[in-house]
Amino acid sequence: MPKLPGLIKGLGVTMGTLVRTVKDGANTVQYPHAKESPPVRARGVIALREDNCTACMLCARSCPDWCIYIEAHKQLAPPRRAGGKPRQVNHLDRFDIDYALCMYCGICVEVCPFDALFWSPEYEYSEPRIADLLHDKTKLGEWMETVPEAPALEVGAEKKK
Amino acid sequence: MTMLSERQQLSYIASQAADARLNVELETEGMTLNIGPQHPATHGTLRIIARLDGEQVIWAEPSAGYMHRGYEKLTEVRTFPQVTSLINRIDWLGSFANEVPFILAAEKLMEIEAPPRAQHIRTILFELSRIANVGLFLGDLGVQMGAITPVFLAFRDREYVLNLIEGATGGRFHPNFDRIGGLKDDLPQGWIDETRQVMKKLRGFCDEIEDLLFGNEIFQSRTRGIGVIPADVARQYGLSGANLRASGVDWDLRRDQSLPMAWDKVDFKVWTHPDGDSWARCWVRLQEVRESTKIVDQLLDTMPAGPVMAKVPRIIKVPEGEAWVSTENPLGEMGYYVVSKGDLGPFRVKIRSASFNNISITPWVLKGVYVPDIITILASLYFILGDIDR
Repeated sequence: MPKLPGLIKGLGVTMGTLVRTVKDGANTVQYPHAKESPPVRARGVIALREDNCTACMLCARSCPDWCIYIEAHKQLAPPRRAGGKPRQVNHLDRFDIDYALCMYCGICVEVCPFDALFWSPEYEYSEPRIADLLHDKTKLGEWMETVPEAPALEVGAEKKK
Repeated sequence: MTMLSERQQLSYIASQAADARLNVELETEGMTLNIGPQHPATHGTLRIIARLDGEQVIWAEPSAGYMHRGYEKLTEVRTFPQVTSLINRIDWLGSFANEVPFILAAEKLMEIEAPPRAQHIRTILFELSRIANVGLFLGDLGVQMGAITPVFLAFRDREYVLNLIEGATGGRFHPNFDRIGGLKDDLPQGWIDETRQVMKKLRGFCDEIEDLLFGNEIFQSRTRGIGVIPADVARQYGLSGANLRASGVDWDLRRDQSLPMAWDKVDFKVWTHPDGDSWARCWVRLQEVRESTKIVDQLLDTMPAGPVMAKVPRIIKVPEGEAWVSTENPLGEMGYYVVSKGDLGPFRVKIRSASFNNISITPWVLKGVYVPDIITILASLYFILGDIDR
């Protein structure tokens, strides 16, 4: 009978947890009914601000698994000042991110020199069909609403210039 | 060091007896038992081919490679910033710890050093990933022996650590937070206080596991004296980390080498155990989690102010040369040998991962043990499949 104390101790833990769960509630979150809010920095989905994008292709080139597809054409825009020459701008035809391939590394957001890409902590965009995970530029633009403000930094951090 | 305990001697005699049995003329027909590649006790797709004589293993060999992802080759066609997003998938439970040696090797070649604040935060996140990794091991250990409760406790308390990592880096499992020359960003506000509270909780978790699991008589009788690895054998097979320390070798890369990290600014104890059995390996890891929480606490108290990024060109080209950096990862020694030809990406990277060497001892240690003990020995050796196959 030398193994009995361990068994009794184990049953004691079960009893203790049972009492605590009934009193304080469980540690788990019942997902579809209750939701956890991810932290502000969580990398959930990438949002696109289309006006800022100049189709420079930096994000598409630096993506480790090449899941960003960009197509653009040049077009003439009205001059900034009256009497000036018309400007040549890149107009974005297609900006797709394939979330079936994306590995959420965040390199594209980091390399973007014009602040066109942002992280949003939104995570509920699973699809029954894998092809639907290809988000086009209108869908990526809709994610912009969910992008939070950058959080304040810890004491001792250097201010961003 | 050469002194063997009585248990070690007995285990050695048993293995010699198993050897001898093969040579006896009246040999009974053995049986080959395949454990894996799909088996809940192998933590992934490791296959152990064991030749049995009755209940005893007379020959065993691990067959790795079912999940080979070719990271050494993949790094050759990626640029340096892209590589970190790949390599934190090697040991997926302690992913931040995978990035650090590679970044340190690249920094060594570029002859830059991260600012002190970045070194501090790096070390904290490194230790947090150790806690998350080994914390899960402590829970998983019970499951291998039929105790379900510890794994729930482990998952409950590991979640706090993962929340911390996610709060700072944005990724729960794949932080990709380390950059050449520093870190991607500074910590968010309130993170330090939160971390202190979580460390307190985790020390409670360690006490709980020590009382519940390590104090359990069944656990003790399943692990004590099982799978004894003497110190010289452990050294010969290239074991590292807690597996080596459990054999009585006082070896810790955090203390023994000077890296641009913050470990030399804290004092911590390197735990060793003279026995070298499964129990010792588990016990050393438990103490390590405790020690890690203390390291994190000390580092939080002495956090310097300043930038987290050194001056680094926007397009990173690493100068020609070769560098080897290894650190004490949750599983053992992990190192990267980076060869650069001055391009955007590395020319060749050799990854030395701890688990691959740690399981290479299985043919030696499994010889002569009984079938149920295979599982406890494998569990106590503690490997992550991604770390074996890369």
